[in-house]
Amino acid sequence: MVTRTVCQVLQRRFSSAAAALRASPADVRSQRNAVFSREQARQRALYPRIEKIEVSMQCPGLEGTLLVMNRGMSTPLSCARHLTEHYVDNSALALVDGEPWSVHQPLTHACSLTLLTFKDNDPTIANQAYWRSCSALLGQVLETAFKEDFTVELLSSMDVEIATAGAFCCDVVLDPQLDSWTPSEESLRSLTRGAQQLIHQDLAWEPLVVVPSVALEVFSHSRCRQEEVEQKASQSPTGTVMLHRCGDHVLLSAGPLVGRTGLCSQYDVTALHSLGEGPWGLQRRAQGLSLPLQMEAHHTVWRKLKQRAGRLVEMPKPEEVTPPASEQPATTSA
Amino acid sequence: MRLTLQLLISHGRVARKMGLGPESRINMLRNLLTGLVRHERIETTAARADEVRFYAEKLVDYAKKGDTDEKAMKMASFWLTEKDLVPKLFKVLAPRFEPHSNGYTRMARIPNKENLDKAKMAVLEYKGNPFPPLYPVKKKNELALVNQLLKGYREERAKA
Repeated sequence: MVTRTVCQVLQRRFSSAAAALRASPADVRSQRNAVFSREQARQRALYPRIEKIEVSMQCPGLEGTLLVMNRGMSTPLSCARHLTEHYVDNSALALVDGEPWSVHQPLTHACSLTLLTFKDNDPTIANQAYWRSCSALLGQVLETAFKEDFTVELLSSMDVEIATAGAFCCDVVLDPQLDSWTPSEESLRSLTRGAQQLIHQDLAWEPLVVVPSVALEVFSHSRCRQEEVEQKASQSPTGTVMLHRCGDHVLLSAGPLVGRTGLCSQYDVTALHSLGEGPWGLQRRAQGLSLPLQMEAHHTVWRKLKQRAGRLVEMPKPEEVTPPASEQPATTSA
Repeated sequence: MRLTLQLLISHGRVARKMGLGPESRINMLRNLLTGLVRHERIETTAARADEVRFYAEKLVDYAKKGDTDEKAMKMASFWLTEKDLVPKLFKVLAPRFEPHSNGYTRMARIPNKENLDKAKMAVLEYKGNPFPPLYPVKKKNELALVNQLLKGYREERAKA
């Protein structure tokens, strides 16, 4: 017990010292952006010659449509642009040979393509991606909501069951100075406002599949994200991880996200619970509720759903997610 | 048969004056009703559709009494000018509306006539016909995001 508290104190000291040494959040963002852009440019340069691939559409009503697209350059969205505006506006996610695929990710081989919307007969995959995107958006809001001198550390996010949880969530560790802060109704509202502004800007979630070394470079300022990268890379069969960029925020995601932030219409941050002391400091869980465009709920229904979404979402916690409190945190970030 | 102020002060004269006189009106309605029973969906002016609707419902009410009923058979042979439709009325329409007690027809406005008189037009149909629906069918999708959330909410309410 004593050693544990000593460890925590040491870790606090270390992390706050590291925070003092660390670059400001704006610098961190620009560095992540720069690495992301560099890697994106490198991946685009892999296809210097224009090669054609055949993409066969599988959506209902489009069977037998064959599109001739550019390899490594055309995305499912550019396929949709060859069809009608309906597909451009409403497709949230694509299925490439049965695999979920972001609409902004270039196609690399001849394939069959299905464009998914939220109003399909079976929108489960799109809904999961939407829920994941909403929690990514929540993380982005939390990262930018505080003043420059408070650090915000996003923890790994897991997919939650939509029906049973009733809310998406995003785990976060705030600056130790904010440990005594309890969020009021007003502060949740201001977080909601931040999210609404991002939705209004209609930013695209640009995907990028990278090898772990690049991801480690992107997250070189954050030890916990690096561990998450390593863990994800070891779990994935190809040994790669998926990054997304939205505006100037680079994030690590478990799977493909929907096309753009403008697909959300109703969005509310409903709660910010504190989960108690974790390996990185006081853990908090931000929760929210959102519905996609053209699926708005009536305000009475929305209020009920919102009340439900305010309660804490319990998540089964796998053991390997919590890393042991190591004695040498943040040394690599120097 | 509209419930309006006009109807209230009409002193029982609820039928529209159509055609060249009462007899002509009845004949016109007979022809319309025969067409309705044959095709199950007809397109005519709104006033005629509204007028014939009452008789179309009433005829099904009589047909439900069965083809052994004297009054029902008399009504069917009067209102259906083409006699081959009498079996259809008793064998097809009456069993179809057996579970319902009223509201066998559906009327919908369609755009006015294009030609000089610009008449107000309508479609009248017997329900349960094999044609494509007049109104867009509301799709129910249990797997949509809102419905999933509401399902979770309802389950939680039931548990508590």
